[in-house]
Amino acid sequence: MTEKQQLIIDGKRVDGRRFDELRPIKIEAGVIKNAEGSAYLEWGDNKVLAAVYGPKEAMPKHVQDPNKAIIKCRYSMAPFSSKEEHGRSGPNRRAIEISKVTKEVFENVILLESFPGSEIDIFIEILQSDGGTRAAGITAAAVALASSGIPMKDVPFAVAVGKVGETLILDQNYIEDSGSDADMPIAMLPRTNEIVLMQMDGSLTKEQFASAVAMIAESGKEIGRIQREALEKKYKQVSA
Amino acid sequence: MNMKIIIPGDKIADGAVRMENAFVEDSKTYATVLGLLDEQSKAFIPLESVWYPREGDSLIGVVENVRNSVAMVNTNSTFRGLIIGRRGDSESEMNIGEVVSAFVREVKREADQIILILERPRKLFGGKLIFVKPSKISRVIGRQSTMLRQLETGTHCTISVGLNGVVWMKGGDVQLAIRAIDKIREEAHTSGLTERIAKMLASEAIK
Amino acid sequence: MMKISSKDYINELLAKGARESGRGLLDYRNIGIGLDRIPHAEGSAQVDIGNTRILAAVKITVGEPMLDKPDEGVLMTGAELLPLANPEYEMGPPTPEAIQFARVVDRGIRAANIIDTKSLFIEKDKVWCIFVDLYVLNYDGNLYDAGTLAATSALLSAKMPKYENEEVIREGNLARLKTNGVVTSCTFAKIGDKLLLDPDGSEEGAMSCNMTIANDEKVLRAMQKGLRGSLKPEELNSMVDTTFEKSKQLRDMIKKAVGE
Repeated sequence: MTEKQQLIIDGKRVDGRRFDELRPIKIEAGVIKNAEGSAYLEWGDNKVLAAVYGPKEAMPKHVQDPNKAIIKCRYSMAPFSSKEEHGRSGPNRRAIEISKVTKEVFENVILLESFPGSEIDIFIEILQSDGGTRAAGITAAAVALASSGIPMKDVPFAVAVGKVGETLILDQNYIEDSGSDADMPIAMLPRTNEIVLMQMDGSLTKEQFASAVAMIAESGKEIGRIQREALEKKYKQVSA
Repeated sequence: MNMKIIIPGDKIADGAVRMENAFVEDSKTYATVLGLLDEQSKAFIPLESVWYPREGDSLIGVVENVRNSVAMVNTNSTFRGLIIGRRGDSESEMNIGEVVSAFVREVKREADQIILILERPRKLFGGKLIFVKPSKISRVIGRQSTMLRQLETGTHCTISVGLNGVVWMKGGDVQLAIRAIDKIREEAHTSGLTERIAKMLASEAIK
Repeated sequence: MMKISSKDYINELLAKGARESGRGLLDYRNIGIGLDRIPHAEGSAQVDIGNTRILAAVKITVGEPMLDKPDEGVLMTGAELLPLANPEYEMGPPTPEAIQFARVVDRGIRAANIIDTKSLFIEKDKVWCIFVDLYVLNYDGNLYDAGTLAATSALLSAKMPKYENEEVIREGNLARLKTNGVVTSCTFAKIGDKLLLDPDGSEEGAMSCNMTIANDEKVLRAMQKGLRGSLKPEELNSMVDTTFEKSKQLRDMIKKAVGE
């Protein structure tokens, strides 16, 4: 049998999860004192730090938009984040693309018109990676933003779906990602189910695509619950 | 009172209500920031928010540029302040680097940004400046300035508070004032805070 | 955004021999060392000094030696002043500040021979390469001491992979990376005519120059002066004395964390 078949043994995935089961997620808000908003997120073996600065005057002047705030987003993987080799420092092409699509997620939710001429900076650092880092980054950045007080219409979440044989699997880890026949990360706004990030490569039938989107929307309830808890936590702790 | 913590995108009311820190969609009102919602009265208190200047707001900033008697003030936000001095009046002259407290006379929408026309500038010399998030700053002042007066008396400091999230302190036990403000920051959303701060100041004041 | 200088206020306090935090002129803030924060790395440590937080991670891999040292392993130290750590830090390639930071920490480790690079030789054109990456997560002054503590702790607790059949094995029961000794640094800020150990962010904003001194139990290993100001020989001597005195507590902290 090919290596791909070994990703599902006796109806279970390599780490024992069900097909539609998320890895454990933990989020803590307000971890970087200097930032306007921040969050530390662990998703399976992924470890992500997200922070937000601004709104502040957009620099250099020529990038200013007189009608609204602009977003600058940096998604970056630490050179020590992978299990295997040491990576290069500095953004590679993949990171630059992810920075762009991540920025576009938040352009949908932040009330940019409230701050003409300004910039909002979103930083996502992947300290340790194990598949699904862009989804983890977006989920963490959403919490960082919500904790900053910058006005937003919703708190986005993101997760990916993969495919092994003809079976859809939710939230692939690195091993599953490497052997998967499809990879589709999606970011959604939970209130309206609007899709604000959509990427896919591999092969999916129309039906598989529809099932995948439904699986992602459903998992958003759990992810959203964890994001909400992280935001409430600080305020629930202190009692009068 | 039935207070619930809500996050951006959560519904505040079933009707369209014009209020701060909220937006209306399909005739329903939703929160745009993390806050406390009183489910009965629909009163909404933001727990985290960004400063959006209004006429009459006090602020504290740093002079960044002076040209033709007009001083540009950095207010630690995306909104720049302008102090228009009187020509030939050396007393009202501002210098780069000076810390100044002032009030917003007008929020002016220019071609490419929002400018704050400031009035009643007062220079603040020496002292210590700290940043406090705008959503917490009103607690540092308190209703009718009760908290602020308590802080000044309890620490023997002169304290100036800018709604843009800057606090200036000088002259007394500045470290105690900072500790008290840290506590206010942490517990801004709770009740009975004024009494707890009073107790703290009393017990920690250097005799 | 708004740059605030607490210079006058800090000087007022110093005139009375006091510091903002209530510390003595030669006292450290609270220091915390946590190991193994990044299990994917061969070694890692997060160090907090007050609100300054630095994460150091060690990755060990097999690669080609440097051209001028063909029979030695490679030790490289990199650093990033992450833009999320400080409103003053910008996105983009490493600034001179970041590069200096990496090189100064590296100098201390290298001069103290913590790693014997000759022992990292495997065969012709194949040596062990040790990468130490310093990630500044929150800035509040004194990156140097936090960085040195983090890098040293990460190295001393790192696991050494095996090289078998042309493959690097990172799983299973691995021995610790072989290291020698412990190096730490003490950083001072000169404000007016006073020397302060472990300056925080406000103090660094008010200083005329700073001085980092790295040492091990016996000798000085590396030194670096930063910024414009000047130091008198007596001031240097006094900082060297303080360094030898204070470094013991730092070495003990590392040894305790690493479990020696």
